[in-house]
Amino acid sequence: MTPRTIVTVGAGQAAAVAARNLRRQGFDGRIMLIGDEPHAPYQRPPLSKEFLAGADSEAALWILRPSWIADNDVEIVTGTSVQRVDPGSRTVVLDSGADIDADAVLFATGGTPRTLPVPGPRPDLVHYLRTLDDALRLAPVLAPGRRLAIIGAGFIGLEIAATAAAAGVAVTVFESVPVPLARTLGSAMGETVSRLHRDNGVDLRTGVRLAGIRTTADSVLVEVDGGAEPFEADAVVIGIGITPNTTAAEASGLRVEDGIVVDALGRSNIPNIFAAGDVARRYSERVGRHIRLEHFDNASRQGVAVSNAMLGRDAPSDDAPWFWSDQHGRNLQFVGEATGEPVIRGDIGALDFTGIYLEGTTVRGAFAVDRGEDIMAVRELLGREVDTAALCDDDTDLWDLAYADIDEESQVQQ
Amino acid sequence: MEWTAVATARELGRRRKLRVEVDGVAVALFQTEGRVYAFADLCVHQDRSLFKGTLLHGKVICPGHQWQFDLETGYEADQDLCQPTYPVRVDDDGTVYVNVAPDTRVPARTEEEART
Repeated sequence: MTPRTIVTVGAGQAAAVAARNLRRQGFDGRIMLIGDEPHAPYQRPPLSKEFLAGADSEAALWILRPSWIADNDVEIVTGTSVQRVDPGSRTVVLDSGADIDADAVLFATGGTPRTLPVPGPRPDLVHYLRTLDDALRLAPVLAPGRRLAIIGAGFIGLEIAATAAAAGVAVTVFESVPVPLARTLGSAMGETVSRLHRDNGVDLRTGVRLAGIRTTADSVLVEVDGGAEPFEADAVVIGIGITPNTTAAEASGLRVEDGIVVDALGRSNIPNIFAAGDVARRYSERVGRHIRLEHFDNASRQGVAVSNAMLGRDAPSDDAPWFWSDQHGRNLQFVGEATGEPVIRGDIGALDFTGIYLEGTTVRGAFAVDRGEDIMAVRELLGREVDTAALCDDDTDLWDLAYADIDEESQVQQ
Repeated sequence: MEWTAVATARELGRRRKLRVEVDGVAVALFQTEGRVYAFADLCVHQDRSLFKGTLLHGKVICPGHQWQFDLETGYEADQDLCQPTYPVRVDDDGTVYVNVAPDTRVPARTEEEART
């Protein structure tokens, strides 16, 4: 039965894309997005990049244009937390105690930054970056000559480092693993990204164990094991990952295992309750198990797939993960999965290259710097066996490799 | 109307794309299924060159952040806005003409605006 009222718990990327897709698919029932932030749905990726740098306005972040929201009669409730969903009475129970009737509910509650204890008199010098308000609070800190400590050299930490360095901030990044991003990209690519940062003036300290962070009357002190003097900064950003927001899901009786467990279509263990985005641990046919991805592209794709499922249309999206990052004027992109160390196409020294991850001669993924087109071509090559020499030869057009296979397949079919 | 000859079908060639300049305007040409399409080369998002992107499944895909523009309209469904496009004419001899006159340019706009 097609629902008449659809409510999303959370109003970020997955929820907004779901709402838009519901209307595009002709759903004419009630749509309500309930978010705990004081803003209509906005895009998070620019928060550590162009928005943080002051190049983008808030309006450039909106996922849904105000005129679209009005024309399509989508209700957006901001600044409101959901306590739980009552499947029996088909109601969404707000923190205030108010009830909202809903035939179908989408949990798209995202995640919350992991925190570190920072004692001292100036908690205002401690930053995290997840929300628009976080970015608005951090942006004025990025002034020339300021000293910024960043804890964690993951993508969020490195993007903030790049934005801050470009603003003239003296940036020091502390990372516990020896090579940043090595778990995601392999050591060689992690080293390459490290070089990009060091060449742009970022003091990247890897393999350091944090002993503690505290604030003084006017600064932040970062202490590392074996360090003689504490490192002094004017502010600190902590970027050590997120934890999925599952409190309301658990209170509703949903199965939660580091994320809300859902099937390939985004359906939870309770009928008419769905989940998508950073919070969802979705079954992937491609991988053969449940996976949870914290990427913008994943939130968008799952927002579409899950809203189709709400309308009874089975169109799962199980594409290989893809994400991008912009650091120091370079465009970094990744697709697929990193299986060990990649083979290199292009000029890694000049930071104009694509690293292609293989399993034997089968393409599994790629990481590229300023080569978005290669990423698109590799996306077509995923799972296919290739001639490695041709792959690494910059004179070979990757599209020729991709199309050659397609041509052969179609010939076989004929 | 100011049609400018910018390329021949042969120059579009096997790669099926070409970057040309007309009156100081960078234009990315894409060819598929016998038709030629002209886009403003710089992406509405962050000025990446669309020519360095690719044409796939009826969309022109920007290499910077993989925004996907509809070949016919320039519409990006996920962003709900359009990349500027220009009228194209191909003569019998294979000469490709583009008209970048301001009154023919289809500017960046939203889907509703594109429909009207």
